[in-house]
Amino acid sequence: MTWETVIGLEIHVQLNTRSKMFCGCSTAFGDPPNTNVCPVCLGLPGALPVPNAEAVRLGTRAALALGCTIHRRSVFARKNYFYPDLPKGYQISQFDQPLATDGRVEFESPERGRVSVHIQRLHLEEDAGKSLHDRIPDRTAIDLNRAGVPLAEIVSGPDMQSPAEARAYATALRQILVYTGVSDCSMEQGSLRIDANLSVRRPGEPLGTKTEVKNMNSFANVERALLAERERQVALLESGQAVTQVTLLFDAASGRVQPTRSKEESHDYRYFPDPDLPPLVLSESWIEQQRATLPELPDAKRERLTSEVGLPAYDAGVIAAEPALADYFEAVVAAGVEPKTAANWLMGEVMTGYNESGRFDVAPARLAALVRLIDEGAVSHQAAKRVYAELLVVDEAPAAVAERLGLTQVSDTGALMQWVDEVLAAHPAEVERYRGGETKLVGFFVGQVMKRSRGKADPKGVQPVLLERLAAPGL
Amino acid sequence: MTSVARIAERVRNGGETAGAVASRTAAALEDSTGLNATLHWSRELLHRRAGEITERVSAGEQLPLAGVPVALKDNIVSTDEPTTCASRMLVDYVSPYEATAVTRLREAGALLAGKANLDEFAMGSSTEHSAFGRVRHPLDPERVPGGSSGGSAALVAAGVVPAALGSETGGSVRQPASFCGVVGVKPTYGRVSRYGLVAFGSSLDCISSFGRTVDDAARVLAVISGPDPFDSTTVDRPPIAPPEPPRDLRGITIGLPREYFPDDLDPGVRAGTDRTIAALKELGAELRQVSLPHTALAVPTYYIIAPAEAAANLARYDGVRYGQRRIGPNGDIRALYQATRGEGFGAEVRRRILVGTYVLSAGYAAQYYAKAQRARALIAADFAAVFAGGVDLLFTPTTPTPAFRAGEKTDDPVAMYLADIFVSPASLAGLPAMSLPIGRSDGLPIGGQLIAPMFHDEQMLAAAAVLERAVPAVEEVR
Amino acid sequence: MTIGADQVRHIARLAEIAVADDELPVLAKQLDRIVGYVAQLDRLPADEDAAPFNAGPESLRLRADQVNPWPMIGGPMAMAPESADGFFLVPRRGTGAEA
Ligand SMILES: [Mg+2]
Ligand SMILES: [Zn+2]
Repeated sequence: MTWETVIGLEIHVQLNTRSKMFCGCSTAFGDPPNTNVCPVCLGLPGALPVPNAEAVRLGTRAALALGCTIHRRSVFARKNYFYPDLPKGYQISQFDQPLATDGRVEFESPERGRVSVHIQRLHLEEDAGKSLHDRIPDRTAIDLNRAGVPLAEIVSGPDMQSPAEARAYATALRQILVYTGVSDCSMEQGSLRIDANLSVRRPGEPLGTKTEVKNMNSFANVERALLAERERQVALLESGQAVTQVTLLFDAASGRVQPTRSKEESHDYRYFPDPDLPPLVLSESWIEQQRATLPELPDAKRERLTSEVGLPAYDAGVIAAEPALADYFEAVVAAGVEPKTAANWLMGEVMTGYNESGRFDVAPARLAALVRLIDEGAVSHQAAKRVYAELLVVDEAPAAVAERLGLTQVSDTGALMQWVDEVLAAHPAEVERYRGGETKLVGFFVGQVMKRSRGKADPKGVQPVLLERLAAPGL
Repeated sequence: MTSVARIAERVRNGGETAGAVASRTAAALEDSTGLNATLHWSRELLHRRAGEITERVSAGEQLPLAGVPVALKDNIVSTDEPTTCASRMLVDYVSPYEATAVTRLREAGALLAGKANLDEFAMGSSTEHSAFGRVRHPLDPERVPGGSSGGSAALVAAGVVPAALGSETGGSVRQPASFCGVVGVKPTYGRVSRYGLVAFGSSLDCISSFGRTVDDAARVLAVISGPDPFDSTTVDRPPIAPPEPPRDLRGITIGLPREYFPDDLDPGVRAGTDRTIAALKELGAELRQVSLPHTALAVPTYYIIAPAEAAANLARYDGVRYGQRRIGPNGDIRALYQATRGEGFGAEVRRRILVGTYVLSAGYAAQYYAKAQRARALIAADFAAVFAGGVDLLFTPTTPTPAFRAGEKTDDPVAMYLADIFVSPASLAGLPAMSLPIGRSDGLPIGGQLIAPMFHDEQMLAAAAVLERAVPAVEEVR
Repeated sequence: MTIGADQVRHIARLAEIAVADDELPVLAKQLDRIVGYVAQLDRLPADEDAAPFNAGPESLRLRADQVNPWPMIGGPMAMAPESADGFFLVPRRGTGAEA
């Protein structure tokens, strides 16, 4: 008999602000420890929080993009627990009156086709600092530069049925958040963090005991960690043991999940409304303005790229995966390139460069100019790739580059005729055989012309000239 | 003792230098050592600050509090001397930033004159719960000055400074003002910034002022009040204007809430309030019996909400980033926390943190915290209904008894809490309220309380200034 | 309603405050007295209600997103009980016996 898997994800994303959630300190990543701190984020006696408008705006936009209901009145609450990197001994978060509830994310499940995952809530909160355990012997080193950085916590329903599906959900969610400019969603810099709840059960039975899996630092590792945890739970149950409610950490090196060592404490966070912060009240008109200014979201983009622009679904999926890619694509098309041609370029040379540098080094208009050279027959497709490589490093028009590198194709009949005549003169025996009915030798002659022209001859122009000369008597 | 207005005027026009005021204040502080009312002050600091004031006066700055000595309760952070909150936890702690109220005092030319003793983290009603010893009542060293701002009240009562800042959470300025025979004013919640006031019960905490007279206390409030971008709970209203008292109280309706005049009210307090009520009538005020039916819920409500907020507010004292650290027996982080907090907090603070933790903990929050929120709303609604019914101000006794003896209530925390029975309701409702001296009983001061509608601080101060002229502060009432 | 030594131990742990075993009975008695006193709110009739009360402004003011650190004199390490290389230091979690 099979096991069903039930997975829900809690995702924390860092909101893309310059300053922290409740103070004017910088959110810059990678600064020396404890340099972006002040009385507020150090939790000094007497300091008070002052909330950042941009964090509220970005959180609202994220929630709107996820189809959530925005609550016109939400309340910040204190979540009380002791941890050395939590300066005040409580985290300012939202509890029973969050910013937004009841959204959904639709995506392609690897197993089930199109599925919809319920977003239970999205709330705003501040991040804790960072604890470094291996920096100084026997000591934990605390850096509070992160403390107070604004986060949105996005909690899904227990709607995913496999680790691969959880990964696909997280990927879809990330796309939406990047599209809306809410977050960089960089797992390396910790601006996107994923925690998962997983349980297994026999079909038709009530939900099993769930465990929490943390420390999954890439999308691939989300899938790996959850596969490992599912296997662990199934093994326990099949050997007649019970699953206990624990928090587990994923170890990417070994591919295993390990229960956290500290004794499981009863989580009694003693939430209550933060008396330092009056209720967050948003006007209907402001919310509508945010809704109206949302960019096109990945799903809509994919839909448009297939149905309106006419791309194959695969191409549309690749191009819509990142807003930067999609924007570039649209700019190239707008510059006059036929969409499928633009898509091919994007998924080829352009993507390779972008994945390496994170930038588009060739402006859309230059790429369009290059594509026009191909269309006009001025360069071959092969030659165009060499031109493109050069465009990455020099600031020159594509035509000039092709000229300089000697890659310009010749379609001038006079020049072609000269190369054709030379080739025919050099191969009298083959000409004889051709004229005797061996017409497949045309390919041989074209190849020879290309060779003689060192690739400059436009192959499309060669054939008619060749046929004409072969048909002409007296040569 | 010269008034705040007079000192400022003399210093501004050169009649006296800030340096001379500093010398006089230093001498008075030295003489008052027996009160144990200050935790930190120094002659050198006083003179350095006086020097800065003198420079600004010579440069022609019109400073509203030029050279006026103002003591600070030691839970208000200042940057050039320690802020200890009268706790072992913060011995030697010097804040790297300054409270907004302190900045505004300095900018107004006030001479910061010492950090005043208090109940540890402002938790108490007698200033006996200071880690650095109790404050003595200026008129009777065996008695308490009230609390938690007992040091500030005693310094003003003893004439050491003309004005001082205290803080209120549930009457911590009005109650000691009453005990010591001075004026204590708690503004509407949100009119004075809490930035730099060490938090106790954040939804209740208000920096408040003491003075010998209504005008003295009001002039200090005028300087420190007004919105502050560093405190999200300040309201967008202009600073409190110093009162321009009318001739009498004609046209003003004063409510006398029956719940504040119980049968077992101390006879001296009753005699004092009777005399004041007669004076109010004589001044032309219309008096009206009113009822605030949920008054009895105020103390229990307060002792749920304030400790709950305090438990969270005091979690930051963990020995990690600042303050005193104790290592503990096992040397791990939890042992560090527990030892630091176990040894750093005194008995009353520990009790309140534990009560606050309890009333918010799983399984109890609905029974205590949620119910207290509902009771708080009912208490606020009581006041709102009375004011909506045409009452301009309420008059009540500030405390059920005059200053009690040291040690009298330390064994029973609840008995101590009941000393705040008449002051905690206005705190819960966020209303402006004040105490002013209305006579003495067996030599001990009696205080009368005025409570006003939200944001009617100015009207309350004006009426108090009229009343103050009519009621002798130091006369025996019986 | 009675608070016993076990309950005091539990909440003291939540609040991370060391309480010696011999203090437990006294503390339990005091807390029981306080909690017993505040429990009189149980008498609050269930049908009596008023609009929720919020001290201060009705709604939150928001600040513009500008990097503008709140004023502070000196660096944070000057206050730290223990520090190295710009970090605050604490015992590593799990060092020593778990409580
Ligand atoms: Mg969270
Ligand atoms: Zn900060």
